[in-house]
Amino acid sequence: MNLSYLELGPMWRALMRNKVGALLIAIQIAVTMTIVLNSISIVVERDKMMQRASGLDEQNTFYLTSTGYTSDFNAQNTVTEDLLAIRAIPGVVDAIQLNAIPISGGGWSMSLATEAGPDVEGTGTAVYMVDEHGLETLDLDLIAGRNFTANEIRWRQAAQPDWPETVIITEALALTIFDNVDAAVGQTVYIGNDEPMTIIGVIDQLQAPWVGWNNLEHSMLSPENMAFNSTRYLIRTEDGERDRLMPIVEEMLAARTSGRIIRNMDTLTATRDRSYRQHNAMIKILLTVIVCLTLITALGIVGLASFSVQKRIKQIGTKRALGASQASVMRYFMLENGMISTVGLVLGTGLTIGLNMLLVNWFNLTPLDWMYIPIGVISLLIVGQIAVLGPARRAANIAPATATRTL
Amino acid sequence: MLTMQSLTKTYVTDNVQTHALREFNLQVNEGDFVAVTGPSGSGKTTFLNIAGLLETFNQGTYTLDGQNVSALNDKQRSKVRNEKIGFIFQNFNLIPDLNLYDNVDVPLRYRGFNAQERKRRIEQSLERVGLAKRMQHLPSQLSGGQQQRVAIARALAGEPRFLLADEPTGNLDTKMAHSVMALLTEINQNGTTIVMVTHDPELAAQTQRNIFVRDGKVSETTPELVVTDKIAV
Repeated sequence: MNLSYLELGPMWRALMRNKVGALLIAIQIAVTMTIVLNSISIVVERDKMMQRASGLDEQNTFYLTSTGYTSDFNAQNTVTEDLLAIRAIPGVVDAIQLNAIPISGGGWSMSLATEAGPDVEGTGTAVYMVDEHGLETLDLDLIAGRNFTANEIRWRQAAQPDWPETVIITEALALTIFDNVDAAVGQTVYIGNDEPMTIIGVIDQLQAPWVGWNNLEHSMLSPENMAFNSTRYLIRTEDGERDRLMPIVEEMLAARTSGRIIRNMDTLTATRDRSYRQHNAMIKILLTVIVCLTLITALGIVGLASFSVQKRIKQIGTKRALGASQASVMRYFMLENGMISTVGLVLGTGLTIGLNMLLVNWFNLTPLDWMYIPIGVISLLIVGQIAVLGPARRAANIAPATATRTL
Repeated sequence: MLTMQSLTKTYVTDNVQTHALREFNLQVNEGDFVAVTGPSGSGKTTFLNIAGLLETFNQGTYTLDGQNVSALNDKQRSKVRNEKIGFIFQNFNLIPDLNLYDNVDVPLRYRGFNAQERKRRIEQSLERVGLAKRMQHLPSQLSGGQQQRVAIARALAGEPRFLLADEPTGNLDTKMAHSVMALLTEINQNGTTIVMVTHDPELAAQTQRNIFVRDGKVSETTPELVVTDKIAV
């Protein structure tokens, strides 16, 4: 196949004799590729994090805090009656008292181990204290074992250190401890070094309160209500009923008992937004960087190509006089850009991988998916070709008669 | 070889019309060596541009090597320029970033010759102008006369039947001008038709035929010329 008309050899030799501008653009392309691909990788990773399901019916769930402030405030009675009253409201699916709100940023954590003892290394898990309504309110599916019965629910007093005898854990936690969900049911795990708890059930998913935690999917349900003056209620409503029911529940609770205040009412969707605000901001910043860098690089290519056309008007006219068609002239500039871009992209591939290895080491990021490299290369080649299109067209429109003019 | 009948070329800028060529008639026969002279602004360069298909014209007919080129599109005109016409420019118009080999190679690549054929033609044409040993040099490493020889080699490499030279010795000293003129004469004697635009009456006198252009018309001719401002039949 005769490809002589592509002028690749002379093009390369001419570039080598006049390489400063081309080299600067190639470096710019390499740096752009490096930063853009690693930024996209981080954006995708963050986005995946933000898309992780918490396991709850977030759209239809809200929570509030009840704080008793009088000396004769009876926490146990108040909780019992509050829950009965809330559950009786039409449109409420179920409600529980809960010690911590998933993905909210604040909660309890403990360590579970298969053996007792202070030196045994356990597995970290978030702790949610719930009654037998926990599964329904949190919208959890039991994939093995059984739910708590009403008789198993105990009252935890403030500063009480011991734990109930039974526990329900998430599938992820069961797999970490036992490698097998079914094998987990009936097993004994030790909490607080030496307190045994029997696993009676395994649920599909329930995220911990801390979205940046490595053990985000590790959660356990402890069968207990809390006799605390300040406590939270989590309420799940029927589809689309949440916003209507929020003020109703708030007013009902406020009216039911004197000597306490109802505050901090919020939805799980707002909690998610708040918890992922930093990730969201990071994504926006990185996307801005990606767009700006790509634009700057494209403008750099336009600038170099325009300068190159301007500098070579006589040459282009001469080539046209010698038989170059308009298409040949356009092709020359586009191929020249492709050549410069290829050098930049080869360099950029090395830099991208190098920077990614550093980021993985320094910030424990997920390694770049290798598919990003060819996609990035093709995308930046296309950006380069689009950027050079205008100057190449201008070059192609230079009249062949320019060859005989004095410029 | 070249026949122009009633050619008219008018430039329009800011509603001002400039008649560069008016009713321009010329016939150049195969093997002619024609010098085109005339004062600045007379239309010599416009004639050269049109003859070389570098510009279009407004009216008239132009036949080159038996082909009516009046209605060709840009791609077709490029092909005719590449295959039938060799250009020699006053400022040589070599590409400064390419060595002599690559400079001569430029029109051959548009022709689609394979590498072997291109190499043969480049070496042969550089040999013909006496610069075969310097083919790896850049134009900037050569004298003006040598650069013009490279330009001639580039024009000859495609083996055109028709050479158009625009003041080929305009930027050369007398000695080099004579050397280039001798080379052009030799090329013509080998059968290539040459039309040369020049200001220099001495050079014009060395050619077989002279035409004089004034106000866009062939207004004077040397007595022995076949060319007139009417078409010679």
